[in-house]
Amino acid sequence: MDFHFEIVQDYMPFFLKGMALTVGVSLAGVLIGLLLGLLIALGKMSSNQWVRLPFNIYINVFRGTPLLVQLLIIHFGIVPLFMAQSNPVVSLVIGLSLNSAAYIAEIFRAGIQSIDKGQMEAARSLGMTRVQAMKLVILPQAVKRVIPPLGNEFIVLLKESSLGSVLAAPELMYWGQAAAGQYIRVWEPYLTVALIYLVLTLSLTYLMNYIERRMKTDDLR
Amino acid sequence: MISVKHLKKSFGDNEVLKDISIDVNPQEVVVVIGPSGSGKSTFIRCLNMLESINGGHVVIDGKDLTDKKTNINEIRTNVGMVFQHFNLFPHKTILDNITLAPINVRGMNKKEAEEKAMVLLAKVGLAEKASAYPDSLSGGQKQRVAIARALAMEPKVMLFDEPTSALDPEMVGEVLEVMKQLAKDGMTMIVVTHEMGFAREVGDRVVFMDNGYIVEENEPKALFDDPKHERTKAFLSKVL
Ligand SMILES: Nc1ncnc2c1ncn2[C@@H]1O[C@H](COP(=O)(O)OP(=O)(O)OP(=O)(O)O)[C@@H](O)[C@H]1O
Ligand SMILES: [Mg+2]
Repeated sequence: MDFHFEIVQDYMPFFLKGMALTVGVSLAGVLIGLLLGLLIALGKMSSNQWVRLPFNIYINVFRGTPLLVQLLIIHFGIVPLFMAQSNPVVSLVIGLSLNSAAYIAEIFRAGIQSIDKGQMEAARSLGMTRVQAMKLVILPQAVKRVIPPLGNEFIVLLKESSLGSVLAAPELMYWGQAAAGQYIRVWEPYLTVALIYLVLTLSLTYLMNYIERRMKTDDLR
Repeated sequence: MISVKHLKKSFGDNEVLKDISIDVNPQEVVVVIGPSGSGKSTFIRCLNMLESINGGHVVIDGKDLTDKKTNINEIRTNVGMVFQHFNLFPHKTILDNITLAPINVRGMNKKEAEEKAMVLLAKVGLAEKASAYPDSLSGGQKQRVAIARALAMEPKVMLFDEPTSALDPEMVGEVLEVMKQLAKDGMTMIVVTHEMGFAREVGDRVVFMDNGYIVEENEPKALFDDPKHERTKAFLSKVL
């Protein structure tokens, strides 16, 4: 196999730009997903089943359908209702946010419910409201437990953001396909793109491990 | 202080409290004994609405907990609770465990709350542990902190649900000692316990519960030495 490095070289500026966008949309997706996810998790834990219902539906819909389908519906169906000129990057961020919110909600719920229920009882018996008990007692403890699965979710999202190429959002995968189309080559563009994804996800994995280790030593105090 | 009338509580089909009525006077120490599953914990948890009440009335300090208009959080600030498994907040230092509610619920300023907490810690003999975390404490120490934490809200009543049952035997004494002192200081207390020595020495009244009812209640000496009911006799013969 002859490997044409000049293709990689030619396209490197685009790959790097794509990589920046990939990191950007994933980060935006996970941050918005964190906010929405926390709200959805709290909603799903309501003692009122009618309050729980919409949150349950949300989680089931977004976890039970492919992200690709969600992106297409959002980009070609929903966003055009609100914006005259629909922008694929905006649609991609919306899609990633809404999708990750469903997974993150479940991560939060599991984290919160893993805290011994005696903690909530002790807080309430001291006169705290439910909200105070959550904020002061439950969530600070739950945060430590949700950081590892949240890291995983970020890694998953980073890879899934490659679906943005279908919307022609100029992220990493989009430029991989562009290069493949222009040169009618498979190995150079796709291997390069794969390698960049791998570097990103491995860096994230190391970062997560580092944070986890730091938290462990915090625990020993 | 506390007036319970025809209290009923079920978990699904399981009627755990069938008809409980009792009055507790200010400064009185009531000890609740009874076999496992008789509803002691459920009873004491109904007194600060950790369990919802299905029937009857619980009136604390003039306020009916079953009244929808009653602010339950306010009631709880007046009713301290000590749990079998301590339930200290592991992410907070001992001092912060104690000041958390006074600062956030009572709106006390930090300095005042910490000064008060130190007084309470000294009272339970743990002043030197103020900056430690719960994980580094023994069971007996944890429970004494839990008592101090509850006292920091200046409750009018203290509820204890088997405060020494999770402790190694050599640590039971130090916790009971703190409770004895509390009783001496005039705190109104309801204590679920298997420590019959404590019941006899500190209790003003002992209540024997079985199967969701109060079967018999009396002064400790009378109840232990001369139980009237067969079930009380049978229970006491097993535990004494
Ligand atoms: N949250 C709950 N859901 C369903 N059933 C419960 C719950 N809590 C208690 N019960 C049931 O209520 C009954 C009384 O329990 P409770 O804990 O009040 O007994 P207890 O007298 O405190 O016993 P022990 O001495 O073992 O602590 C038991 O049959 C128990 O299974
Ligand atoms: Mg019990």
